[in-house]
Amino acid sequence: MTTHRVAFTLNGAARAIDVPADRLLIDALRDELGATGTKLGCGIGVCGACSVLVDGELLSACLLPAIFVDGHAVTTVEGLAADGELTATQDAFIRDGGFQCGICTPGQLVAATALLVEHPRPSPDEIRTWMMGNLCRCTGYYGIERAIGRAAGMT
Amino acid sequence: MPGAPGFRPVTNVADRTASVLGDPEYRVEGRDKVTGAARYAADVAMPGMLHVAFVASPYAHARIVAIDVSDARALPGVRAVITGEDTKPARLGRRLQDWPVLCWDRVLFIGDRVAAIAADSAAIAEDAARRVRVEYEELPAVLDADAARGPQAPVLHPDASSYRYFGGDRPSIPHPNLQAYAVHRHGDVDAGFRAAHRVYSHTFTVPRTHQAYIEPRAALVWLDGEVLHVVTTNKAPFALRQQMAASLGIAEANIVVDAGHIGGDFGGKGLSLDEFALAYLARASGRPVRSVTRYADDMQATNTRHAATIALTTAVDADGRILAHTSRVVFDGGAYAAGKPVATLLPGDAMLTLAGYRVPAASVEAMSVYTNQVPAGHSRAPGQPQNAFAAESHIDLVARSLGIDPLVMRERNVVRPGDIDITGAPWHGTDGAEVLARLRTAAHYAEARTTPHSLGAPAIGSGVALGVRHVGRGRASMVLRLSRGRVELRTGVADQGGGAYTLFQRIVATELGIPLGRVTVTRGATDAVPNDPGVGGSRVTPVQGGAALDAARKLRVRLAELGRALADAGDLEVIGEASQETHDASMYAYALRVLVDVETGSTKVEHATLVADVGTVINPVALRGQLEGGFVFGLGQALMEELRLEDGRVTNPSFADYKIPTIADVPPLQVELITGDPGPGPFGAKSVGELANPAVGAAVANAVQDAVGVRVWSLPITAEKIWAELTRPDEVREVAGSAED
Repeated sequence: MTTHRVAFTLNGAARAIDVPADRLLIDALRDELGATGTKLGCGIGVCGACSVLVDGELLSACLLPAIFVDGHAVTTVEGLAADGELTATQDAFIRDGGFQCGICTPGQLVAATALLVEHPRPSPDEIRTWMMGNLCRCTGYYGIERAIGRAAGMT
Repeated sequence: MPGAPGFRPVTNVADRTASVLGDPEYRVEGRDKVTGAARYAADVAMPGMLHVAFVASPYAHARIVAIDVSDARALPGVRAVITGEDTKPARLGRRLQDWPVLCWDRVLFIGDRVAAIAADSAAIAEDAARRVRVEYEELPAVLDADAARGPQAPVLHPDASSYRYFGGDRPSIPHPNLQAYAVHRHGDVDAGFRAAHRVYSHTFTVPRTHQAYIEPRAALVWLDGEVLHVVTTNKAPFALRQQMAASLGIAEANIVVDAGHIGGDFGGKGLSLDEFALAYLARASGRPVRSVTRYADDMQATNTRHAATIALTTAVDADGRILAHTSRVVFDGGAYAAGKPVATLLPGDAMLTLAGYRVPAASVEAMSVYTNQVPAGHSRAPGQPQNAFAAESHIDLVARSLGIDPLVMRERNVVRPGDIDITGAPWHGTDGAEVLARLRTAAHYAEARTTPHSLGAPAIGSGVALGVRHVGRGRASMVLRLSRGRVELRTGVADQGGGAYTLFQRIVATELGIPLGRVTVTRGATDAVPNDPGVGGSRVTPVQGGAALDAARKLRVRLAELGRALADAGDLEVIGEASQETHDASMYAYALRVLVDVETGSTKVEHATLVADVGTVINPVALRGQLEGGFVFGLGQALMEELRLEDGRVTNPSFADYKIPTIADVPPLQVELITGDPGPGPFGAKSVGELANPAVGAAVANAVQDAVGVRVWSLPITAEKIWAELTRPDEVREVAGSAED
């Protein structure tokens, strides 16, 4: 299979890797760039554990060929905290029980971050509609909803 | 170690408890988990690491005639290929080692493994796996637990007597296809039935479900000289070390098991599979080898919740008081019993078929049966989701038949301290009357029962159910070090998300009367910390938490002996230990309101109230999260979850087809805590991780009957089942599933 040079921005830093055409973004991130914050769950784009932002758009890294991010900006969970300072959403997830085991948390946080850009003060329905694509088996989602509410300054 | 310090009544801590346990809870591993820094097994890589694929049986039962691995071995990038010939007679398992590391003569379920490949990439390994040619001779498959016990059934484990069983003698079994068999009897059952006003018998079924953790299993194994290193998703690393040592013939001292953060467990990750074959591949290739299970394989070939058929018969007097009870539970154990850790080889609480009630006389029979299905193991409160669904549906049916309100029926029968319960022993736990009284008030029960239905709108129904759960048992130890005024607790407890490290931090800080920030908690691999029993059995808060408390107390005593304050005592080290053998239990109860669309059977839980007896609260955020998460775990299993099998093959092995609740599926949940009854854990704490999930299914079924008058006899409670009952002619419906008298 042919190899392609993929040049993109990962959490603000310029990166370039050579990958085969069928290399998925999640494998490129985890195996070639050591960015293991993005998690593999179902592997078929259902559970949301691998959620990343590509130019601000929420996508599943387990479905996306890495070559598609050539020239684009990718944000993963590692890119949310600026200069080691947790975002309000990250901090709220800790305080409100937004996670337990933490495996879905990178995806939840990336999705919640995108939600709060689109809807800075989301209604309960907007939270539920937006976050439906991110499964969590630990929390029952109540803590996630509380955390998003706190991060949005609504509690 | 009876009377270990962790479990004496606590005195003189009230002021310290108030000061530190009142502090906000902030997860000690929280920052790592929200920044992506937390490392899970699949995140660990090593230079030169190989990737693994397995060759699995497409047949539920077959003899292996021949395996040809030459094409696989010839593929560039393949570094090692092994088959059952290389691993026999090695078998794996938690208590009974009956599961071949790789099969060499017969395969017993679809997904049973016959070969393993290590290659430079996962793609190459998978390509090689497809090139392995296996010739099978298909054998008659036993797919049904009743058929498996028949006289004609093929014996699935003819060599069972040679299997390793940890800890004494394996309990005897009356049929070769049984994994386990147990009976319990107390009181005068016959007299209870003779005195009965009415006798009721009902039979319920519960399907296989998957634990549905989001993280698939993963393992990384390498050899460093003689020492085998294992990075794993297993939540009981010391137990895995013991299992691997026995199975592979390696001294425990030469195995180091390291379990980092675990991406969800719910009972399933006590069983390891890949680690064993990886040890052979590491040896054959001389390289580190890693496997990350594809989710579909995790669902087809690991260890599910047991499917079960539960038949209950109960004799009652005219007021609905229970006089005697008999039951028979048949668990479909699948191809191997390896997933079950308890001595009986039954799922944990298999015998509790009428838990939470006064039962003066009972005869209980439970068994787990070998079939050619996916092996079954432990899943959150093992045995109880099955039994609670049956018992709490049964009690409701009895109440309705007698014209007694379902909550009144429970109030008349619920256990209070000292009452004889289904175990035949005096109940040592929550006052059930208090739980139900709180439920009646909190759920506004009287109002909910009289809410009028409006014409054309969905039918409204309310349902109640209660459940009990033992407060965990076992023994544990950990190390507490004092250095320069800071204390570090070193533990072997793996983090599966329950909040153990934060719990330990808060216990130690509370006991020593120091700020939380001066206590760090460090996890160590099996070569770095004292033996730990692992996460499970509702054990972490009372037992491992008890060891943390004991360590803090020992440090306090040492400081007092030295006449030193913590800040200037120099370096000290103590070992905390705890052992918990009592049979304390907690109780919880639900009141749910459902809306049922009578045209379609579609059902929605509109609101839920949960009353839970939790004792002293140490981690308020984690405790709430465990109860909420337990409710939704139970809600998924109540409404949507079923691992569907056709001829032994899972037909919905992905989150696209195996539905678990999303954020849009969860109803408002009101949680009411009872905290005034101290438990056996630190400062009077109890455990909650497996407290809240089992009773949800029956609460929904009871509410559905309240709404539309039909009974669903099996989980999950789907629109199809309700609609089928709604459209069934009345005379047929009367006799379906149930026989009274």
